[in-house]
Amino acid sequence: MAVGVSLEDRVKGIFQKVLDIKPEEIRFEAPLDQSLGIDSTEMVEISVGLKKELGISLADNELKKTHTFNQIVQILRSKGMPS
Amino acid sequence: MDKIAVTGLGIVSPSGLDKRSFWANIKAGRSMIDRIERFDASRYPSHIAGQVHELDGYSNVSSRLLKKIDVFSHMALVASEMAIEDAQLDLAKENLKRGGIFMGNAIGGWLYGETELRDLYLEGREGVSPFLASAWFPAAPQGQISIQYGLKGYSKTVVADRASSLMAIAYAAKTLLRGKNDFILAGGMEAPVTPYALLCCNTCGMLTKRNDYPQTAYRPFDKTRDGFAIAEGSGVIILESTERAQERNGHVYAHIVGYGTTTDGVDRIQPAGDGRELSRAIKMALDDAALEPSQIDYICADGAGTVLGDLSETRGIKAVFNSRAKKIPVSAPKSMFGNLLGASGVMDVITTVLAMENNTVPPTINYLEPDPECDLDYCPNKAQTKEIKYALVISRGRGGINCALVLENPVG
Repeated sequence: MAVGVSLEDRVKGIFQKVLDIKPEEIRFEAPLDQSLGIDSTEMVEISVGLKKELGISLADNELKKTHTFNQIVQILRSKGMPS
Repeated sequence: MDKIAVTGLGIVSPSGLDKRSFWANIKAGRSMIDRIERFDASRYPSHIAGQVHELDGYSNVSSRLLKKIDVFSHMALVASEMAIEDAQLDLAKENLKRGGIFMGNAIGGWLYGETELRDLYLEGREGVSPFLASAWFPAAPQGQISIQYGLKGYSKTVVADRASSLMAIAYAAKTLLRGKNDFILAGGMEAPVTPYALLCCNTCGMLTKRNDYPQTAYRPFDKTRDGFAIAEGSGVIILESTERAQERNGHVYAHIVGYGTTTDGVDRIQPAGDGRELSRAIKMALDDAALEPSQIDYICADGAGTVLGDLSETRGIKAVFNSRAKKIPVSAPKSMFGNLLGASGVMDVITTVLAMENNTVPPTINYLEPDPECDLDYCPNKAQTKEIKYALVISRGRGGINCALVLENPVG
């Protein structure tokens, strides 16, 4: 567990690794499919990455490519992830 | 009837990644086969190959896409980009619903496949990339090219072992003659230099074991031949009607004028020793082209480099060309860059087209000891100057597949 690193930063790190993008490319309030061109297979990779890094499994209807980055962070918080 | 023209060339090969360097290496008779070092292949019976080392420097493919595709798709995308540019094809002006893709491939994207298979056993289900399903199958490059360029026309991937891409080119030409498309990207790609794919190739017993001397190992038609060296790469050519090419001021490299194919029906790996069905495929191609055997100026051979393969091919050629057989140069330029398996046919077509353009027959290298049973003019070791009006390209595959394609030089 990374001490002092916010949940937001950890999720950014996962996105960066999975999608091979820079953190500044993430637009927090835009749907992922529109802002990052994410496809459904990349969403599967994100889901696997979140589970590996944070230990949280998200169901298909909880993690959609139409969600925004902030919505995903919010969903993770609601599952008990500390900020 | 209008003819089908080759109007653009794209080459990703061990002998170079553009037509100039490729042809320079071919004309010089340079061997580009080397030991495999990207993984420890030392325990494989055959561990040499024609390899592509400079792909990254040429690539306009994004790193994000690279994670989702196998290297054979990557090479096909690069070769496609080169071919489109070489043809000066402006896709913005084309009806992309009438642009097609006809590719040949033998083994699929094994680097991706075997990496994920390893991860399955090491990490379990969740260790497997979700992109595996779309990365490894033989038609994946066709899909990626379609996505990259928006091509939505009649397309196909042909799987016919080492004859795949020659067959794909022939079907592309026939598709254009039937008016199904306006233009087609045709060719093939192969990336067999991976731990598992190399093992699969080794088990067929057709690979050379001369690992200590890679550059002289692949020696088609030579008395001491012991098989071929595999290679990786991709070749893509642009095909369209001559009329269309002329209307848009495209350059016509060659016409595709005839095709024939048969199957030996004898053995699952070795060709039929008598070469009889091969000769029938050649005759079929000549009839299709309305040509007599006497009109062929050059034969680009399958040149498997195996004892039976080369003997069978020699017999097949003699049965068609009879007494004239010894007067026609027959060469296997793949002795220089290796056998690209499913993509070998398109490499042979590209080499033959450049040979026509340069009035030069490319050599069969490493030919030092003649075999009395293989006694044709194999253009040994050095390129020969010769005007080539009509050329025959032969590709054969395991399972007894025989393909023959006739090309016409638009000049002369």
